[in-house]
Amino acid sequence: MFSTEWLTQLQTRLNADPEMQVIGNWFTVAMSLSSEIERCILRFERGRLVQTVPSPRLDVSCAFGFRASTDIWTRFFSDPPQPLYHDIFAMLMRVPGFVLEGDSLVAMQHARALHRAMRVLRTVRPS
Amino acid sequence: MAIEPIVGRYLNLEVDGASHRVFFEEAGSGVPLLCLHTAGADSRQYRHLMTDPDVTSRYRVVAFDMPYHGRSNPPDGWWLRKYLLTTRDYLAMIKAVWDALALDRPVVLGCSIGGAIVLALAAEFQRELRGIIGLESSAFAPGRYNEFLHHPAIHGGELGATYTYALCAPQSPESSTRENWWLYSQAGPGVYAGDVYFYSVDWDGRPNLARIDTRVCKVSLLTGEYDYSCTPEMTRQVAASIPGSRMVIMPGMGHFPMIENYPAFREFLMPELAFMLDDDGR
Repeated sequence: MFSTEWLTQLQTRLNADPEMQVIGNWFTVAMSLSSEIERCILRFERGRLVQTVPSPRLDVSCAFGFRASTDIWTRFFSDPPQPLYHDIFAMLMRVPGFVLEGDSLVAMQHARALHRAMRVLRTVRPS
Repeated sequence: MAIEPIVGRYLNLEVDGASHRVFFEEAGSGVPLLCLHTAGADSRQYRHLMTDPDVTSRYRVVAFDMPYHGRSNPPDGWWLRKYLLTTRDYLAMIKAVWDALALDRPVVLGCSIGGAIVLALAAEFQRELRGIIGLESSAFAPGRYNEFLHHPAIHGGELGATYTYALCAPQSPESSTRENWWLYSQAGPGVYAGDVYFYSVDWDGRPNLARIDTRVCKVSLLTGEYDYSCTPEMTRQVAASIPGSRMVIMPGMGHFPMIENYPAFREFLMPELAFMLDDDGR
């Protein structure tokens, strides 16, 4: 799901996003994406995705992350998305297996930029 | 250049001993159509409806900003009270505006919290109503209230706007969903949270649904397929509790049909507006 190739595509797509260049000035944070068998960390600085870490060791810290099964992530990436799987806020409310882990206060402080990042992320479909 | 036909004015009225300065806007003539905005928003959400000649040729469309919202002030002493909307206060304000504007047997259309309270209006005042049109109507919607909606470490305007942006369908035009984002970003501190308190904590319309007689007060319910706040299933439960009600689940639509995708929404709305005008012997 979160392969090195996919992370590279995501980095290119996110760093070319004109909206993030407008709203991302305070978006300096590290976050994780996880499934049953995979985990990666995305490290943002001022709205730019500056580092991606597939299969991070314990010395790579992050503030928060999203965890879900491969099936839930697959529904999230589908086009058009199925209702209730079309947005991170929809899934947080209605899909019990989609979990915000870590410091939710930090996540919501960055709600606008985080939401944009996840919108862009949804358009980079895993192979 | 074009000047829109919408006219806005201010209404001064007393509700439960408190003085209110309430903004309302209107367009058209005919049967009164009183429109209720969503939580944390204001009457601007109905601008497309109020500029649609197919609506305004038959209806006097009126929308107002609830106190604390848009261009309506909070009542005096607001700084000494936490804003938490209740079913009782919400009903009282709507009825006060309705009476002050002398709206005779109106159709009341409301979305989200407005879609909820129209169910209470239909139960309490059905003999004074022509009908209700509930957009995204639920009779019971726990789970939405959270403390981060009004928190010193979080930009409440951006969180509320982003959260509600997510409530729009992926198919809705970007410019329209962003317009709704912009409206939401302008809510006063704690106002969206105070409205969500009504919706998610105080509100339980289920015991009163059986009192609604659709032979007296018509009921139309329209809910978006992508609405995760009031899901289609929640509206189906409302419809099942009101014999004679009409219900449509709108494909490719989210929680804010009148603002997020009006061209698509009007295809679902027009039959219900015609239905409300059909007297069928009443």
